[in-house]
Amino acid sequence: MVGLISLMILISLAGALITFLAKTREQARTIAIITSGISLAISLVIFSNFNSSISTIQFLESYSWIPSIGVTLKFGLDGIGMPLVLLANIIIPLTVIFAWGETKQANRFYGLILLELTGVMGVFTSLDFFVFYIFWEIVLIPMYFLISIWGGPKKEYAAIKFFIYTHVASLVMLLAIFAMYFNSLDITGKASFDMFQLLKSYQVMDGDLIKGVISLKDAVFIGLLFGFIVKMPAVPFHTWLPDAHVEAPTAGSVILAALLLKMGGYGLFRVILPILPYSESPSIMITLMAIIGVVSILYGTFLALAQRDLKKMVAYSSISHMGYVTLGAAALVPLSVSGAMYQQFSHGLITGILFMSCGVIQHSAGTRIIHDLGGIAKYMPKLTFIMLLGFLASLGLPGMSGFIAEFLVLVNSYFTLPTFVILALFGIVFTAGYHLWAMQRAVFGTYNEKLGHIHDGANYEIASMAILVLLVIYFGLNPNPVLNMMTVNAEQLLKYVVLRGVIT
Amino acid sequence: MNLNINFTLLAPEILLTVLAFVVIIMGLLISNKSKNMLGYISAAGILASIVYIVGNGMIANVSYFYDSIVVDPLSQIFKLIFLIVSLMAVIASIEYFKDNHNQDEYYALILMSTVGMMVVASANDLIALFVGFELASMSTYVLAGFEKKNPASLEAALKYFIIGSLSSALMLFGMSLIYGITSTTNIPGIIEFFKTAPLMAESSLGLLAMVFLVAGFGFKMALVPFHMWAPDTYEGSPSVISSLLAAGSKKMGFVAAFRVLVLALFAIRADVQFVFAILAIITMTYGNIVALSQRSIKRMLAYSSIAQAGYIALAFVVMTPMSIAGGIVLALGHALMKGGAFIAVAVVGYMVLSDNKNAKNIDDLDNFAGLGKRAPITALGFFVFFLALAGIPPSAGFIGKLLLFYSITVEAISLSSSWLLLIVVIAILNSALSIYYYARVIKYMYVLPPKGEKIKEPAAYVVAILIAIVGTIGIGLYPEPFINMATNAAQVVLGV
Repeated sequence: MVGLISLMILISLAGALITFLAKTREQARTIAIITSGISLAISLVIFSNFNSSISTIQFLESYSWIPSIGVTLKFGLDGIGMPLVLLANIIIPLTVIFAWGETKQANRFYGLILLELTGVMGVFTSLDFFVFYIFWEIVLIPMYFLISIWGGPKKEYAAIKFFIYTHVASLVMLLAIFAMYFNSLDITGKASFDMFQLLKSYQVMDGDLIKGVISLKDAVFIGLLFGFIVKMPAVPFHTWLPDAHVEAPTAGSVILAALLLKMGGYGLFRVILPILPYSESPSIMITLMAIIGVVSILYGTFLALAQRDLKKMVAYSSISHMGYVTLGAAALVPLSVSGAMYQQFSHGLITGILFMSCGVIQHSAGTRIIHDLGGIAKYMPKLTFIMLLGFLASLGLPGMSGFIAEFLVLVNSYFTLPTFVILALFGIVFTAGYHLWAMQRAVFGTYNEKLGHIHDGANYEIASMAILVLLVIYFGLNPNPVLNMMTVNAEQLLKYVVLRGVIT
Repeated sequence: MNLNINFTLLAPEILLTVLAFVVIIMGLLISNKSKNMLGYISAAGILASIVYIVGNGMIANVSYFYDSIVVDPLSQIFKLIFLIVSLMAVIASIEYFKDNHNQDEYYALILMSTVGMMVVASANDLIALFVGFELASMSTYVLAGFEKKNPASLEAALKYFIIGSLSSALMLFGMSLIYGITSTTNIPGIIEFFKTAPLMAESSLGLLAMVFLVAGFGFKMALVPFHMWAPDTYEGSPSVISSLLAAGSKKMGFVAAFRVLVLALFAIRADVQFVFAILAIITMTYGNIVALSQRSIKRMLAYSSIAQAGYIALAFVVMTPMSIAGGIVLALGHALMKGGAFIAVAVVGYMVLSDNKNAKNIDDLDNFAGLGKRAPITALGFFVFFLALAGIPPSAGFIGKLLLFYSITVEAISLSSSWLLLIVVIAILNSALSIYYYARVIKYMYVLPPKGEKIKEPAAYVVAILIAIVGTIGIGLYPEPFINMATNAAQVVLGV
């Protein structure tokens, strides 16, 4: 009997394959929307049956795969993975609806989108490091094609840069995983890639990678951290992101920002936090992560302020927002960690609106350069309304989901990392600044007659953005459905931290 | 030494030998037009042999003809490899040679070379081993030059023939030295002798014998520095024959090395492992680096095949059951991936020639532009084979590499040996490097615009490519039975 999680993964995979074989655009998009709809329905069933007051793994499934080296197909969900699976299942159908008008190689386009769904759901649910890694890599390939076939003028450069950057990071992570695997094999005598088993064995890892320079524990920790923060991405490993976003088609950007970046953050909570207190020198690692977080927040903000291209600005704002995730995770306070998790969920929804807005503008005005736009509100009232709500959510207006996440992170991180929080607070001012400034220059003011006559977004585009806006407002007013389970898991994660006396 | 008169386990060899003669005789009797049916007959015979082997004797252990032929897990898994490769080659040939009037000789030669390879897999005696080698080599020399009017094909055949004869001579000389030392040609007898008199293996004569054997097998395996013939031969031969050579006959060297070298010689001289480590590293690095700059896809596949031989040769480095099992799984995977890839090149050739009858350099990278639109199944095949060759999961290439690298790491940790770890790191870096040239072709196929109309891919090619795709992914998705088979074979290799 197949469990609900693997059913969800299998359906999206099968949907992807069928979509590839579809003959016409009509067939392809119908299959894509039906499949992602079924997957969404299953995820809602899981979500409604999910017990958010316990921190243990639920909906656990386990199938033997390669017993000779201890690989098991093990899937399950807890408060860390559940919201992200839900997010993936919200974003993908909306992306399909948004990209309803795609004409170029439609069967491949929709097929690759569904393949992304398969990949990210696999990452968020697999509890076996080997399978986790496979899904982690599977996600790369469709994104490479989405950028390199449907992308902008410099698509090939952007696609290969994206691929190489994140692939190298994954390889480093793979080495760390294997080090943990062999360590566990050494200790227990049992070959197993079970995630919790490996994380547990890490606690008693010893030895040096290079004697006197770096211990094995630290090397593994840094290897894993590197794999995750490149994906997030955090400064200074962020340079692939703006290129990829600028060249990617809108659907690709939405998936990249809303789902792929979240894989990095997910890794922080699933892998990094459980082993952090056991690393050789936790306080140095915490400081390292906090610096990465704050620098990402500030640097991303300032770069966003300087951008001429609206989409590039949104890309840098992603870097800045993902900085809150790193900062909240490094603060190791239950509410800051759950705030960081909530930031992941909320940013996934908000960034979808922002990238879709950029897509609509590009589509109808033919440019995204802020300077060349101006006053488009006159002809695009529906887009303007939704885009304004999205921008306000992104800058952290109370009543929207972004506010709750950033508020939780900043307030609670102050307990343990006061200096860093004060620095990050400066970022808020500029965040509000670049959002409003961009809106003012591009959307409001006098109409730039050079643009000619432009039209508003298509109904399916506006509809999918409107759904996202409603969700952002809903989760801004009532965060509990997902925040509760996050808090429960954050408290569970931090038990070890307190136990080890890393934070008093 | 018992004379076993129950030959049922040798039925595949007998069937294929008889079939080869039947095909030749039928070729004399039927008209040129109906010679196409010979391909179907050969394919049916090979398929029957595969079914027979899978059904009857994956774990048998019997010896025949005064212990000169054995049927054991090692021989059976390699026979399976050879049969699958020649099945794909025969199916693809039905299309490739459909207008050729010499199809009867062609199919008979393929069948004979397959029998030769199977004899090598089963050989338990140096003479039988050599006879098998020669049978397979002689047939493939002719096959490589089968496009009589194509100078490249003739050049390929001639190079292959000259170097192949040289390697046979070296091998034979090594065998005669071994016979001189041990006064037996029976492989278990040789092992027994060296075990009781280890000094003889350490003598200069023993060393010389080993060098000649390593060189002789090395030519077949196309390890650097014995590889020079491979790129020219694979490039010039008809694509379906390149597939047979690269995917099939190359593995003869490996099975012979598994049977002879591992027990007879390595067991006594540990530093030979070091020699093989160096050979493996140089081979994979050389193959990958040279492949980077190739524009002819067949040449690129040839160099990638050299690189893959380097990975497989890693099995000799630690010689644990798992490493040898990994080598065998990778050999099986390589047979499918490389065999499928060369056949897919044949489709590209068909496509280019149907655009322009006088086209030159039909396997040039430029002809791959937009292949995803022009020939979707072929392009899918390339996509799967290339990712599998690069070791991306879930594929046979991934599982094989995983087992190899894994087993060496385990050994490195248990011996706390840093040079073994270094080998793994170099091998992994090599895999990463190889992604570049595979990804380049994938980019050409899917990203660049097509240069012509969509073609109808001939059914025979499609069937052969699909067999390879299903095998490649199937082993990746459900590797356990294949790992078990390979582990059984590895136990034979190590004499456990």
